[in-house]
Amino acid sequence: MTSASAPLVSIRSLHKSYGPHIQVLKGLDIEMKPGERVVVIGPSGGGKSTLLRVMMGLEKIDSGSITFGGKPYISSANADAKTAINTDVRRSIGMVFQHYTLFPHLSVIQNLVLAPCKVRGEKKASATQRAQALLERFGLGGKANAFPAQLSGGQKQRVAIARALMLDPKLMLFDEVTSALDPELVAEVEQVILQLAEQNLPMMIVTHDMWFAKNIASRVIFCAGGVVVEDGPPEQVLGSPREERTRDFIDRVFHIKQ
Amino acid sequence: MSLDFSVLLRFQEALALGLWTTVKLTLICIVLGCSLGFLVGLSRTSPSAIVRGIASIYVEFFRGTPVLIQLFWIFFCLPLVLGVELSNLASGVIALTLYMGAITSETFRASLKSVGREQMDACIALGLPRRVQVTNVILPQAVLRAAPTLLSNCISLFKESALVSAVGMADLMFVGQNISNNTARPVEVLTIVALIYFAIAFPLTRAVTLVEGRILKKLAI
Amino acid sequence: MNYTFDFNAVSLGPLLDGLIVTLKLTVAANIIGVVLGFPLALLIMSRVSAIRMPAMLFVEFFRCTPAIVQIVWFFYCVPMLFNVFLGSTTMGILALGLNLMAFNAEAYRASIQAVPREQVDAGIALGLNPLQRVLYIVLPNALRASVPVLLTNGIVIFQQSALVAIVAVQDLMYQAKTLATETYRPIETFTIAALIYFAVSFPVTQIVGHLERRRQVMTS
Repeated sequence: MTSASAPLVSIRSLHKSYGPHIQVLKGLDIEMKPGERVVVIGPSGGGKSTLLRVMMGLEKIDSGSITFGGKPYISSANADAKTAINTDVRRSIGMVFQHYTLFPHLSVIQNLVLAPCKVRGEKKASATQRAQALLERFGLGGKANAFPAQLSGGQKQRVAIARALMLDPKLMLFDEVTSALDPELVAEVEQVILQLAEQNLPMMIVTHDMWFAKNIASRVIFCAGGVVVEDGPPEQVLGSPREERTRDFIDRVFHIKQ
Repeated sequence: MSLDFSVLLRFQEALALGLWTTVKLTLICIVLGCSLGFLVGLSRTSPSAIVRGIASIYVEFFRGTPVLIQLFWIFFCLPLVLGVELSNLASGVIALTLYMGAITSETFRASLKSVGREQMDACIALGLPRRVQVTNVILPQAVLRAAPTLLSNCISLFKESALVSAVGMADLMFVGQNISNNTARPVEVLTIVALIYFAIAFPLTRAVTLVEGRILKKLAI
Repeated sequence: MNYTFDFNAVSLGPLLDGLIVTLKLTVAANIIGVVLGFPLALLIMSRVSAIRMPAMLFVEFFRCTPAIVQIVWFFYCVPMLFNVFLGSTTMGILALGLNLMAFNAEAYRASIQAVPREQVDAGIALGLNPLQRVLYIVLPNALRASVPVLLTNGIVIFQQSALVAIVAVQDLMYQAKTLATETYRPIETFTIAALIYFAVSFPVTQIVGHLERRRQVMTS
């Protein structure tokens, strides 16, 4: 058992660039405690999505390291070295993407049971039972046999969340999961994530929706230019930011200053 | 001149036999050619430059030369090179399989490419092992996307198979030409032969359009 | 393998003569196909079914029967049916030209119908009349889109032209066949002939690939 204060995730001087000239992450340090819900905000190109993709092990890094639950997870000594990823640790992290990324050739229930059956060797019957229960909980009980193309954007995104939860992740990453949705469908997806928050599932969320950020976050990080500019409780970072750049960004988002 | 299609009645059986040879040859080469095409399509995405190079040379060469000359080469030259006798059927099968392999490999390659980066991200996020990624996610989607074009490839093969008549294999075209020479009634005989090919190929081309529509609808994400 | 290669036994002269015939066939058939394919495309898109149906039948017939059947039919049947006797090269050009016309009509049709609806809507919004919309918006869009397909079809007909050897037109394929029999050197002869075909097709397919990539970049 880890004590309540021991970090769940610990990110140390993370550097990442695309090609020789575009540096996206310039020495990022973040510590995340168990049960925290961290919302990452900031201007486009500030490295928010890249951070989540690195944490999922989807991107190579130049240097830095990440530990998860005290275990080494991702590390690289320099840009030419291979990025070492502990795939066992990776399996305890789930991610939901902006564009759903459901498997279009599989039905909803098949999308859900694929990973538990193939990754953990779970019996199909038991996985199907769990999947059905999860779908019911998310208001999708009747859609088990539908194909992704027959669902609305909001439904697809809820299926994608359920699919990730099937592996009982210890941490969930949400990368702008409502950005591609029509405005009237945003709430149904956010409701599902709020449900998960009530169960104290640790999560890291990148979003542009400040209302959602305020409601879900236990902590907000403002990221710009590849570094953490401000880090604190939502009331502080969103309400009365201490840093000039954060204030500027928040004002712009709420259209206070022209 | 007056046309008399009744001469053909006497040759029903011969034409049916010829058609059977054509169909048999086509079906064998569809199975062999698609398998070859899939392997070659995969090889063209291989990390090894040598594998990629060999695969591209094969595809470009077979797409860049007339099928007739490929057929002649295999029919006349391959036995000399290998030092073994090849039956008409064997040469026909080898030539058309190589042709089909070249054109379907392009189909498979394009469809493999069309399975997007985001699907790969999802596979990794779900921790799927490489083998599962290929067999459960990439392959089924690639095959679905390739299906309409593969069907078109099959129609092309069916038509190209008529070339084996030029090396003396008794397919529909060869039988037709023989009857036409014996009866001195080329107009009637060759027209019927053309119509038989048409009667098989035309409905298949309609099927391509149907399949295409259904698959696009299913894969629309 | 106990076959000794002797590429010197193959004289290039006849093969090059044959290549010239092949190129003549290809160029002439392409002129017919590119020029006449377009009006044929307009016919298959006609709203009048009495015009559309025969045109479609013509196109589908060429697309759904083997080219070798078409060519043999043409050489045997046209003289008997219409009592015309043309030189064998002319016959070859006509047979290949009609075939290409059908395939190109289909290419023109597909690219005309692929012009996005929004483009035409924009034309309406700008107050262009129907003729102006066709001339300034639909056609320029469509013709540009059809170029790669026309080139591909053109190179396919270059390869298909080898079929006329079967009806004794003295093209590259015919010369190769003759030479192979005369010299008893089928491997060398057919290999060289195949390489000649390849040397002409390959650059064209590379150009087509380049054009398509450029188009993708421009339209995305």
